[in-house]
Formats: sequence, C-alpha cells, structure tokens
Amino acid sequence: MSGLVARLRLAAPAALVPLGAVVVALLVGAVVMAVAGVDPLRGYDAMVRGALSVSNIDFAVASFTAILAMSLAFAVPARMGEYNLGGDGQLALGGISAAVVALYLPAPAIVLLPVCLVAGALGGAALASVSAPLSTRAGVPVIISTLLLSAPAVALTSYLVRFPLAERGSAVPQTSRLPDAAHLPSFPGTSYTNAGLVVVVLVLLLAVRVDSRTPVGYEIRVAGANRGFAAYGGLSVPRLTLGTLVAAGAVAGLAGAIIVMSQPFRFIDDALTAPGYTFAGIAAALLAGGRPALLPLTAALFTVLTVGSAGMERDVDVPRQLGQVLQAVVILVLALRVLAARWVARRARDAVGGKV
Amino acid sequence: MTDLHPDDARPAAGADTPAAELRGITKRFGPVLAVDGVDLVLERGTVHAVVGENGAGKSTLMSVLYGLQRPDAGAVLRNGRELRLRSPLDAIDAGLGMVHQHFRLFGSLTVAENVVYRAEPGRWGVYDRRAAEQRVTELAGRFGLDVDPSARVDTLPLGVRQRVEILKALHRQAEVLILDEPTAVLTPGEVDSLFAVVRSMAAQGTTVALVTHKVREVLEATDRVTVLRDGVVSARLETARTTAGEIVEAMIGRGLKPAVNPRGAVSGEPVLEVSDLRLAAAPGAAGVHGVSLQVRPGEVVGIAGVSGNGQREVVESVLGLRSPDGGSVLLHGQDLAGLGVRERRGRGIAYVPEDRPGMGTAASLSVADNLALGHHRTPPLGSRARLSPRAVRAQAGELVRRLGVKTAGVNAPLASLSGGNAQKVVLARELHHEAPLLVVEQPTQGVDVGAGEEIHRLLLDYRARGGAVLLVSYEISELRALADRVLVMLDGVVTADLDAADATEEVLGAAMVHATRPDDGSSRAGS
Repeated sequence: MSGLVARLRLAAPAALVPLGAVVVALLVGAVVMAVAGVDPLRGYDAMVRGALSVSNIDFAVASFTAILAMSLAFAVPARMGEYNLGGDGQLALGGISAAVVALYLPAPAIVLLPVCLVAGALGGAALASVSAPLSTRAGVPVIISTLLLSAPAVALTSYLVRFPLAERGSAVPQTSRLPDAAHLPSFPGTSYTNAGLVVVVLVLLLAVRVDSRTPVGYEIRVAGANRGFAAYGGLSVPRLTLGTLVAAGAVAGLAGAIIVMSQPFRFIDDALTAPGYTFAGIAAALLAGGRPALLPLTAALFTVLTVGSAGMERDVDVPRQLGQVLQAVVILVLALRVLAARWVARRARDAVGGKV
Repeated sequence: MTDLHPDDARPAAGADTPAAELRGITKRFGPVLAVDGVDLVLERGTVHAVVGENGAGKSTLMSVLYGLQRPDAGAVLRNGRELRLRSPLDAIDAGLGMVHQHFRLFGSLTVAENVVYRAEPGRWGVYDRRAAEQRVTELAGRFGLDVDPSARVDTLPLGVRQRVEILKALHRQAEVLILDEPTAVLTPGEVDSLFAVVRSMAAQGTTVALVTHKVREVLEATDRVTVLRDGVVSARLETARTTAGEIVEAMIGRGLKPAVNPRGAVSGEPVLEVSDLRLAAAPGAAGVHGVSLQVRPGEVVGIAGVSGNGQREVVESVLGLRSPDGGSVLLHGQDLAGLGVRERRGRGIAYVPEDRPGMGTAASLSVADNLALGHHRTPPLGSRARLSPRAVRAQAGELVRRLGVKTAGVNAPLASLSGGNAQKVVLARELHHEAPLLVVEQPTQGVDVGAGEEIHRLLLDYRARGGAVLLVSYEISELRALADRVLVMLDGVVTADLDAADATEEVLGAAMVHATRPDDGSSRAGS
C-alpha cells in the first residue's frame, strides 16, 4: 500500500504537465472564441456534440481508430528515443497495398480480409524499415529520414491512383470500389465503425503487453534511456531500431488498409493524409508521454478536437482550424515538459547532496 | 577588460585576520540539510584541508564560498569583511579562485589564451599575445608550474591542464584558491609536483583550500584540517598533531577496518587468458601492443597505470565492445573471437565499467530496471518471451537489502541515488550473475570511504568464492588492498608484472611513468 502511494507520488509531477497542457490549450481556445464574439461554453459544447452526438459518433469512432493507430505508430519508436514522422507515407503505402490486393486477388472474405490487412501492414513496414539502416549504418537520424521518405511515398500512391490504378471514367483520382469480400464488417447500425476498431485495439493491447511484460519491451526502454547502457548490456541497438520501426510502419500501414476497407471502400487520393491523422496521432502520443496504455485516452481527446471542430464551424461559426490551434498549443506546452523533467531531476539530485 | 584591482574588495588587513571565513553556513536542498551551521576559518598563507565523505557537505560549502550557491543562513567573510556573492564573478573580484574537478578550459586555444581569458592584456581591445605569454611564463616561474604557454590545451595531459587552471586563478590575482579533489586525475608523480606548487603558493601568501577525501593527501600537503560529517564539522585538527586514524574516524564516525585480504590458494586453469593482444593507437589512445595476461579462479589481477595507457582497450577487447587487430581472448580455454557482448556475458563475464553514468546505469530508469539488465531474459525474472515486472521488483528489493543500498525504493529513478549507492547497484547486478569472471574498472571512483570499504569487501568475498577478477584501477592503495598480482601498463605495454608483496607504492609509481623493457622481468621497474 505504502509502495503504491510512493509510486503515485513519483508519478504525480509527471502527470501534471500533460493535464496542464490540455487545460492551457482549452483556455487559449476559450480566449480566441471570446475575442471572436462566441461564448466559449457554447463553442466547446458544439465541438463535443460535433464529435459525440448520436449522428456524429459513428464517423468519430472511425477517426478514432485511425488516430489511435497513428499514435501507436509514433509511440513505439519513441519509446527508444527515435521519432517516426513518416506516418503519412506509411499510411498511404499501406492503403494502396491493401487496395491492390483487394482489387486483384479473387478470394472469399475469410481469406481476403486478413490478407489485405497484412498487405497494408507490410506496405507501411517496408517504407519505415528503410530508415533503420539509414540511421544505424549511415548515421541519418530516423526523425529526418522518415519525414523525407514520406512525401515521395505519398506522391507514388498519388501517381498510382491517377494512372495504373485509376477508376476508368471517373474524374476523381481514385481506385475502383473494392469487392464486397474486402469490406470490413460494420457493427450493427453503423456504417463507418467496423472491425478495424477491434483490430487496432487488439494491436494496442499487444503493444502494451510487449512494452511492460516482455524482455524486448524492457530492452527498448533501456535503449531509450541510455544507448551506452544498452550496448554495455549486450543489446543490439540496430536490431531494436529496425524492430520498432517495422512495428511502427506496420501499424500505420494497417491503419491505411482499414481506411480503404471502410466506407467508401476505395483508395481515394489525399483521403488518407488530408484529415491529419498522423499529426493528431503524434500529438496524442506526446500527450501520453510514451506510455502505450494511455493512448486510447489521448487519442480520444484529439479525435474530439479534430472531428468536433467541423461541428463547431457548422453550429457556432468558429473556423474549424481552431481545432488545429488547440492541438498545437498542447504540443507547445508539452515541449515545456522537457524543462520540467530537468527541473525535477535537478531537485532529486540536489536532495541527495550535490554531485553524482 | 576586467579591472583586476577592485581596491574596495580587498582592504589591507592585519596578518592575523583570516584570509577567508565562513560563519554559520546553512544550506538546504528541499528536505535535505546539506550543511548545517558550519564555520570554517582559512588562515592567510596556509593550506587547509576540507575533508569528508561524499554527501558530507564539502562541495556545497565550497560552492557557497565561491558564490555558486547562496546559503540559507550564514556569512562569507574576506579579510574580515562580509561579502555579498551573487555569482562566481563576485567571488573572483574578491580574490577567490577555484579549480574544479572537471576542468573548464577551451581545448582548441593555447595555454596563454586560456589563462588570460576574461582578463586579457592588450590595447584598444586588441589581444596582446606576447604580453599574455610573458605573463604566463612569469607566473609559472614564480610558483614552479612547468607549462609551455603556446601549447594547445587539448594536446596536454590532464596534469598539465590542471596547472593551466591554477594559473588562470593566479592570473586573476586569486589570494584564496579552492582546489576541488585535485588529485583524482593525476599520476603519483604529478601529485607530488602539485603539492610542491601548493606549498610554494602558501609560502608566497596564497591561501589554499584543498577539498579531498584522501587522508594521505591531507597528511602530506596541509597545515590544518576541517572534517565534515553529515553537514556539520566533526573535527578541527592541526595536521602536524593528528593521525590518519583520527581523521578517518572523524569522517565516518568509527575506525576504519582495512579490507582484509587473505591471499587464498590460487589454483586451476586460467579463467581468462589474453595472449598478445594488439590494437592500433588512435588520437588520444595509446593502443595496445602485445599484452598477455591470465586470471585464475580465486585471484584478483590488478592493472595499474595512468588512465589512457591501454587499460580501457584491453577491457573492451575482453568484453567484446571492440575487436582487436591481433591476439586472442580465451575464456575457460575457448576463443571468444567473433562473439558479441551478449554472447560473452552469457558465457560468464560480468563487468563493472568505469563510466557509471554513461555505461553502467541509466539515470532515468528505476533502480529495479537498472538491476534487471542482463538478468531479464532468464528465470526468475523472465524468459525469451516474458518478463515479470513483479519478479523484477522483488529481486531488486532483495539485492537492495542485501547490499544495503540507500534508496527511497526500487521504483525510484537511479538519478536520485548518491555515487556510492549507484555503484552498489552496478556491483549488485554484476555480482548476481555469479559469473566466473568479473571485470572491474575503478570500483570506488566517486564513492565515499565507508561505501568504498564495503565495495572492497564484496569484491574480496567474490574472490573467496572462487571468482576471478580483472581489476583496473588508478589508485595504488586500492590495488594494494585487493590484488594478488599487479600488472603495470604504460603506452599500451605491460611494463611490470608484480606479486602483490612486491608491489609497493614506490615500485608501482615508478613503473607507471617510466618504461622498462617488457622482457626484463618483474620488480626492476623504475629508474
């Protein structure tokens, strides 16, 4: 019992920063709305209803699925101190891979559904895996190579749906509608919410378990805390880097597959990247402080901000960009977390009497 | 350009006014009282030792004197007048100087440029190189500090860099010089010349505060001693009328039991056999040129030498952190060539590295996580696919209790532990492997006397159980306390191979600085 109290006391300052970030963001949003002549309470009410009212929740849950997956795609490498900013490219490659398999592999649903999901995961993983040797052999930081590889990957999918895979006779750059066997089964009474949510939640549970209860999860945390300590213990940093990036790319690719296997069952150019799932996922992962178990909570928050701001624009005439502003403020405040962590560490060091 | 003579800060004072004085200094960090009402009087022209274990408050006290920390209560006096120190710049203006444990020099600048930095001679803002070098030569001559003013600092050995730090303080007219653990990085010969410099400064009226935890240095180099324990003064002594025993007792509150080192019967096949190991020299590293050594069960083999003479390369070749250019490393007769760190550790090598913050621990992880590394894939903690957080905490609790690690709990971050306790965590983890070979570098570095004593005992217990230990240390007293055999390394070559009985301080000290031909046997090392 006293052990639990001690652990809570250690965790309390760490939890204050993310909570404070959200509060500050909401206050900033309130000020912006007040200046624009909108009652902030009405504005936030419209935002929440825009995401969570009966008519909107179906679409919000589908967005939540994508944002949760993208938050995991950022959080897994972040656990060892590597930052995956290539979510868009991995998402798009995953989506196009799943679409190609669905369009060209005649198979019953029981085969086609898992094969498409796996193809999506492989597509994302393939792109992300390139960054591992670039980092461990050539010294190109993961944060840079993932970001730079993302744009050409998105462009490649754009080309594919405009030319070789384009639906004939359509003005929109998109593939044909996928066969029925490749449609993820929806929950009763919904059209967007489907088995994809179950898949992502299962993957999240797996990630939480690997993080806290397997040697590999421990090794990833060790490598994130101190590379020298990891090498001393005989851990292979290149292998851990490759492993976390492949896992991250696979989750992002899976998200892409789930999106094309949901309404309207096509790969539409821009449809995967335009909603900003990657950025919202990064924000959610940062807010969770790298702890996978907190991702559902923070992903839900950013889903409300992303989806709800459209409702807010409709109901109270506040531009939907306010949602993005709030996300940015959260991240800015979180950047202060680094300072807070240093402050806590210095106090801890001083408390034991000076030099270490 | 700084005014070097702020007259108001230095009134002419009578010879009996102390050069500097601390009165009733109290400083607290959060809940911890680091120093509590400490008085310290530094008489003009004396060398004053400030001794105590890590955490006793000596660093805090010196930080207050040098303006790095503001005290919660108490006063700092200089020549009998109270000072208001807002930062070290105020302290420097008042004629105080400090040589830190880690030097603060610009490696790419010359000695003279470093010495005159922030107080450069020159005209109309133009730096006068010749005047600066002249000034350095003059100061160096006056105090017996041997340096080349035009040498680049990063080409110099640590002992010479320290002289540059001292010159820097002297150039700024420091009359009270604080030396913080100055001998940690020096060879025995360099220590002797440092003490000669300290003596010469004192003779010329400079007051020196020597912060140390080495009792021998106190006896050799100082006039007066103030001993701190747990933030209060536990003794004020005259060096000429005290003994090592008295000082140690005041430091740790009880008599020191030297680690008993009963030489056991060494027998059996060697656990570790290194033959003709070769590594090319690199900038800043001596390389290794044909080193051979053997460690048998129940034996501690020490490697003596000044840091940077190839010890590190030998250790890293044994561990698999670096692949040698030639030669072999055998564990229990099996060649380890081509095996990585994990495989070698799995075959029975435990390792306590010198670089504790960078390699031996992860400061941000919990004590429990720090204790688990290397044990995390084997029962009882886990297997290839499973790791039990509960078992990790349970084992950590057990190890913490067994070794008496002082921590708020096994979930506390390692960063919250003192140096001695962090080192115990490393040792606990590595001893728990019950590996046949333990490689240890500098086991008591940055560790206070009491914890150092316990660490030595743990290593000797391990040897008594039949463990083989390869010990790298820069401290001769430590090698003498622990080792059965001592090899001396200089420039990547073993220059002496001595039985513990023959490894006297003089012989080791001489072998550490003068090469003898490697083939001419044992104790003729030296000149």
